[in-house]
Amino acid sequence: MQKKLTLGFFFALFLFTTFLPIAWMFGNSIYEEGRFSFAYYSDIFLTQKYGMVISNSLILASTTTLLAVFIGVPVGFFLSKTSLPLKNFFKICFFIPLIIPSYIIGIAWVNLLGKTGFLNNVFSQYTLLSPEFISNSIYSIYGVSFILSMNLFPVVMLVTEYALKSINPRLEESGLVAGSVFQVFRQITFPLIAPAILSGMIIVFVLSLSEFGVPSLLQVNVFTTQIFTQFSAFYNERAATAIAFPLIAITLVLIILEQIYLRGKSFEVLGRTSSNSTLQYNITWLNVIGLIFCSLVLIVFVIIPLSTLIINSKTISAYHDAILLARNSITNSILFGSIGATLLTFIGFFLGYLSENFRSGLRSSIATFIWIFFAVPATVSGIGLIKLWNRPEGACQFIYGSLWIVILGYVVRFLPLSSRIMANYLKQIPHSMEEAGIVTGASWFRVLGKIFLPLQGYGIIATWLISFMFCIGELGTTILVYPPGHETLPIALFTVMANSPTDIVSALSIVIVVMTLLPVGVFLAVSRYLVKVPQLTF
Amino acid sequence: MNALEVINLKKNFNKKEIIRGISFGVERCQLLALLGPSGCGKTTTLRMIAGLETPDDGEIRIEGLPANRGCKALISQKQRNIGMVFQDLALWPHMTVYENIEFGLRANRLLRAERRRRIESVLDKVDMQKYARAYPGKLSGGQQQLIAIARAIVTEPKLLLMDEPLSNIDVKLRENIRQEIKRIQQETQITTVYVTHDQEDAFLLANKIVIMNSGTVEQIDSPEEVYSSPKSLFVASFIGESNVIPVKIVEKDRILTPWGKLECNIKDQKSGNPFLFFRPYQAKIKSGGCFEGAILNRDFINGIYKYIVSTSGVKIKLEAQEVYKVGASIRFSIKDQEVLFLKN
Repeated sequence: MQKKLTLGFFFALFLFTTFLPIAWMFGNSIYEEGRFSFAYYSDIFLTQKYGMVISNSLILASTTTLLAVFIGVPVGFFLSKTSLPLKNFFKICFFIPLIIPSYIIGIAWVNLLGKTGFLNNVFSQYTLLSPEFISNSIYSIYGVSFILSMNLFPVVMLVTEYALKSINPRLEESGLVAGSVFQVFRQITFPLIAPAILSGMIIVFVLSLSEFGVPSLLQVNVFTTQIFTQFSAFYNERAATAIAFPLIAITLVLIILEQIYLRGKSFEVLGRTSSNSTLQYNITWLNVIGLIFCSLVLIVFVIIPLSTLIINSKTISAYHDAILLARNSITNSILFGSIGATLLTFIGFFLGYLSENFRSGLRSSIATFIWIFFAVPATVSGIGLIKLWNRPEGACQFIYGSLWIVILGYVVRFLPLSSRIMANYLKQIPHSMEEAGIVTGASWFRVLGKIFLPLQGYGIIATWLISFMFCIGELGTTILVYPPGHETLPIALFTVMANSPTDIVSALSIVIVVMTLLPVGVFLAVSRYLVKVPQLTF
Repeated sequence: MNALEVINLKKNFNKKEIIRGISFGVERCQLLALLGPSGCGKTTTLRMIAGLETPDDGEIRIEGLPANRGCKALISQKQRNIGMVFQDLALWPHMTVYENIEFGLRANRLLRAERRRRIESVLDKVDMQKYARAYPGKLSGGQQQLIAIARAIVTEPKLLLMDEPLSNIDVKLRENIRQEIKRIQQETQITTVYVTHDQEDAFLLANKIVIMNSGTVEQIDSPEEVYSSPKSLFVASFIGESNVIPVKIVEKDRILTPWGKLECNIKDQKSGNPFLFFRPYQAKIKSGGCFEGAILNRDFINGIYKYIVSTSGVKIKLEAQEVYKVGASIRFSIKDQEVLFLKN
């Protein structure tokens, strides 16, 4: 009873914070002055007005996905299947573009390829390309794709690596006895990891479709920027909602398809043995190719953008000025991010439990339902929150006019993510651990406090840190909902970009990078000193 | 009064009947084994008794107290007052042995001194006093087993439930732990339900065995009865090695077997079809034997030769100390053979 009530409460909380704003927004867009009207929707579907936006968005998402696959799959392969030198170093470095906000990578590449950029100079001097052409190419859909693929290729890399490691090595060995390495990869290994890669592709597609920061930075007209413009320039929130509709519909269909297609095909269930070994190809030329490929990816995707920002910030005084300029927003970001991450971890724990450990036929549907909301674009969430909370009643005004609306934005955006991470950690605790507590007659809260929390410690810290990182970088929702005086770092960065020199912008970008990477660094450094729970062995 | 009474219990998973209305009882201080092949529903039954699974229909009574009626639970987990040993033991790896055992006592709000007394006494019972401060991960498989038992009995439960506790242990250690379980159960006199698919466990530990198959109870009897008088075709072929051959009754104490008419002690018929039932050791291979057969296969195990013999179109199992060649013709007799009326 205690358990059902608690889980029910947190699910209701999820519906209230995350589902309600969006439902409210859509309800509002079709209900005007006492009657139903689909005028804004027919405007989208029956006129050519938004054809460009729709095609831009789809081209952007498709090219990003293809690029991410062409980079992520080989990297994942080299990291798990070859005896590449510096494997761990590469692995940690390839996480960086995923962790830092994508618009930061965007700023770095604009600095490099913009009209006065260093690489622009080099290319225009030594090739036939004009500086304008190079600059225009970064300010285009393909420029956005290029930058987003840097941000999102680690997703494909991770699923590929995980899938390859999950394959029972005997399946490949039995093939190697009879055939060549190529044959084994083509006929055995690849078909086994294909569902995982497909699932990674869908995630990348959906995330790039709902990305706001980079398209708005590079002034490319896609769904998310159009929603933002309709809302904040024309104050036409009904039109904004109507534009969001096809976007939500596409992501919804894709995520549901992914869940249905992968049911029972998941890479985790592929004849895994209890041994942790992975079949590795120790072939010299493969290692050499791997090393060259991974180094190139590292240089282009990590070293060049980060060092550009560092070089462009020129002097220590730029950092001084940047920090002075954004002092308030740094404090705000740390404060809001900490509160947000704590709430996300706390609520995420119960939702993760609900979608993983709760014994019910509804379990997988609940997990899918929660996960769908991760695909809701930031700008859509922002408008939903404004529609729901911007009203004259005292309590609503208190939330709408304070830091809580920003924090609510974080919760809405990242609750599906934090509960999914938590669910993955909870999955590793056998059901019997909980049942052994329950049969003694202990209350469920006691079992949670004494058994789940300590066993889940690592997962809780990891969830908090990941949530914190995402909160610090959040732009799309915050830019719509933040009350005056409650600017966060990304808002400060976007404001500074309009009216400050490159060195300040670069310095502030580096500040954001440090703030997102620092907690992870601390965690990695400290985690080896954390008391490890001894594992049971038989 | 029985300590545990299970009445017409039913359970479905995804519209599939897992438990199809089973009933049995356990007398106080006795050990009852639920024995059956994997997937027969024995663990589900145990979990329903533990309150970890909700029955769809039927009743469970613990010490006369109804624990549920249909799918409605009538008493709390605490009132159930059971101890349970899990298949994977489920020792909490972040707690010491002492803390593992203490958990249930704290849940029952016992005072500190009383908790200490009980923990010391239970560790004494399983002879693990010196490991009180150790983490379970540091213990051997057998020691972990004993701690799991100690944790289950420290609350002095009315009922101890054990879910295949020996399945993860290698053969040699198994025997020792089995003896320990027997000793502890006899000393503490806790009514116990023991789930296993291992016949040895059931026969060596249980006062009574419930044989389950596909969600139904095939037979409830003492180990001796189950062995000598199986009530169904399933039990006859599941328990030990046996020959079960369909026969026809010609007249009183005379049956028609595949190899001719035979004098035989026929037990009173209740229901079911007649079968000639004998264990391999009940047949003797000798030159003057009544029946003739040819050896199809020979295995040597534990000092005995086991043969599969083809005789008049049926295959039977025999055993002997002597060695015969595969393909050789032999003669054999059967002593004390019985005709059983078995349910299909």
